[in-house]
Order: sequence, then C-alpha cells, then structure tokens
Amino acid sequence: MNASPLASVVPALKELPAFSEGQRVRVLERAPIGHYRVPIYLRRHVGTVERVIEPAMIDNEEEGYGRNAGNRLHYYRVSFRMTEVWTRYDGSPRDELHIEIFETWLEQA
Amino acid sequence: MPTQDFVSRLPNDIGGFEAGSVMRVEHALEPWEKRCHALADVLDFKKLINTEEKRKGVEALGETLIGKLPYYERWIVAFANISFTKGFFTPTELAEKMAEVDARFAEQQAG
Amino acid sequence: MAQDHAHDHDHDHDDHTPITAEAAPGYYEVMETAVREILIEKGYLTANDIRHQIEVLDSRTPALGAAAVARAWTDPAFKARLLENGRTACEELGISFYDDTQLIVLENTAEVHNLIVCTLCSCYPRPVLGLPPDWYKLKPYRARAVSEPRKVLAEFGTIIPDDVEIRVSDSTAVIRYLVLPRRPEGTEGWSEAQLASIVTRDAMIGVIPVTLEKEAA
Repeated sequence: MNASPLASVVPALKELPAFSEGQRVRVLERAPIGHYRVPIYLRRHVGTVERVIEPAMIDNEEEGYGRNAGNRLHYYRVSFRMTEVWTRYDGSPRDELHIEIFETWLEQA
Repeated sequence: MPTQDFVSRLPNDIGGFEAGSVMRVEHALEPWEKRCHALADVLDFKKLINTEEKRKGVEALGETLIGKLPYYERWIVAFANISFTKGFFTPTELAEKMAEVDARFAEQQAG
Repeated sequence: MAQDHAHDHDHDHDDHTPITAEAAPGYYEVMETAVREILIEKGYLTANDIRHQIEVLDSRTPALGAAAVARAWTDPAFKARLLENGRTACEELGISFYDDTQLIVLENTAEVHNLIVCTLCSCYPRPVLGLPPDWYKLKPYRARAVSEPRKVLAEFGTIIPDDVEIRVSDSTAVIRYLVLPRRPEGTEGWSEAQLASIVTRDAMIGVIPVTLEKEAA
C-alpha cells in the first residue's frame, strides 16, 4: 500500500510559519514612516521565539490602511533579556520582555 | 535631532522614555465616553473603521494634539477625520450636525 | 536606558469634570453625538448597535477575570486549560471575546512575576477585565513598565526580590494578556466565590499581589 495521502499534503506559500519555537530571531532595523506596530525600543535586538501564534493573520500595519483581508502571516511571541534591550537595565539579569511580532519584522539571528 | 526622527517615530511610541512616577488615577467614564467606546467597537465590527485605523488616526493627530487631548477626545476627532477621508460624511455635514445638536441641548435646557 | 525625549505624549491632567444636569455638553460630547447620529442617519450603523455594545461593555468587569482566576486556583484541570489557551478556557465560563482578541494567561509563581503593559496604545484584556484604568493608558506607566519594571512595581508598593524573574508582556497586536496571580496563604478551604472576592483588577494586570484584604479595584 502506498504512503498515506496525509504525508504528502502541500501547504500554500507562506502558510507555514517561517520561524519555530526556540529559534533565535532579530528584530529588523527598519524605520518605516506612516504606521507601524513594532516599538522602536526593540529594533535590531535579538530574542527567542517563545510561541508561534496560530492561526496566521493579517498584518495589523496593513489593517491600519483599511486592508481587512489579504496576505496572512504569523505572529510570534518573542522573549528578550531585559539586559539585551536596555544597556543600563537595573534588575535581575534573568528579567525578560515578551512581545508579539509579525513575521515581516523578523530574521534569523 | 535630525528631522527624519520626527517622521519615523510615531507620537505614541514611548516605551523606554523617561517619565514621572505612576499616579494611580482613574475615573468612571462619562456617558459620552462610554458611547464613544461603543462606537469604536461597532465601527470595528463592521470594518467601517477598524481598530488599527483608529490607532493610526490618533497618531495622525500629531504629538502636540495627542499631548493636549484626553483619551476619548482623541478618538472622536480621529473618527471624524477618518470618516471624511472615507466619504462617510463631509466636514460641512459634521459642522451642521454639531450646530443642530448644540441647539437641541440648548432647547432642552431652556425647556 | 531611557531614551532622551523631553515632550509629553500623554496628557497627565485631569479634566474629566463631571457633567451636571445643568451644564451644557462639552465640544467633544457634541462631536460624539453628531458623528453617531450622522452615521445612523446614513445607515452605516443603528442606534441599537451602540446601545447593545454599551450593554456588552457594562457586563465586562474585573469580576469575570477574578472568576477565572478562582476557578484556576481550585480546579487544576481548568488551570491547565487556561494556561494552554486563555481564550477557549474563558469561553468555557461563558466569557465571549467580542473584540476578536486572543488571550494568553501568564502564571505568577515563586520564581516568576508577570506584568502587562501596552507601550504603543492601550491594548488590554477588555473581554475579561472591562475597560482599563486611566493610569494604564498614561505615559508614566506605558513608558517605564518595559524599561524599569521593578521601580514601577515599587510605586505600587510591590517589591519583587532579585531572585524572582520579572516578565513584562508588551501587547501590540491581537494577543491580550491576563496575569494569574499567586493564591495567598491562609485561603485553604475557601470557596471559589470567596477566592474570587479577593482577586483584584490590579493583581490581574500584575502590579500588586492578591492579599487577604482586597485593596484596589
């Protein structure tokens, strides 16, 4: 008997998340004008994907321009060490910042 | 400060800024503030003005106005501006309706 | 750590003077009334849409979040589901997510203390806590909670020992957060309703612990 058809399902482009739990990612250093949802204090910092947020969703930066449908990608809950984000952080070196970031803002670190 | 920083930083992007102590202020919403919140939700449900368009509309007020106007005042001005852009109504229609509402309240108070 | 910036982005003044029956409505109230009435006249929405949504908002208070917390404290299986998927677990209790947000519930333990903030605006778990307090929407909390959380917590009277890790969650998109506070000692054998009665809004934001005397909203 042939392999199960379940083993050969082909997902659409960008249907699957680009990053996975535990992966190190960098927030792109990008300075768009207009509307954005990634605070400047996080740009270029490196963190770890804590969770892939399912399902894929519309980029809320595009929603800001009234596009309520269209391409979907994933959001990721990413954790950062506070000491990595703030050079003079006053607190435990284990303290963390968690935030959800859209896929277009991340690259593999 | 290079002028590009003024266009690439949104007025609401304040994470990490220096600021005073947290004062635990709160107030019960005025009836109109609650109506304004309900209006925001309904506009989003119907995707007439989604939540992100509202946020962008508030940002578009600019830093000075954002600093001067309280929360729901910012929202209703943003809704008016976005409504003009989307053609829901015109500035003239809003001005006329506001005059009508003013007159109606004045009449109620006189009566 | 703090970036230099001299301008105030958020009003700190309190000009919410109560409107008395005699006072004329303010400019922005007139604008709100006018915008709403035009949209209704033109058929974009109905008076009932607004009326109903006000009822929805009125039905959402910290008592809902407190009920979920008390259930989690007394029912380990529910707690596991709540931590796995905050939204579906709250939906089990009948709490709907009218704003179509997801919910991640963050558990405070002896090792970890969670705190929620929205630096860009005022994202808040409205379906389970109602509308946020003013301080949550004002500059000092939004600006500083992400960069000096321990100082901010101290301003609420909450001192977190250095060996306890602080996790600040900054909400920016479709996820909302709710803190599952630690159950205080001395509540053994309490009923779910008794437990819910001591769970405060501020404890579910993560700025204070739950104590036996309910101290804040």
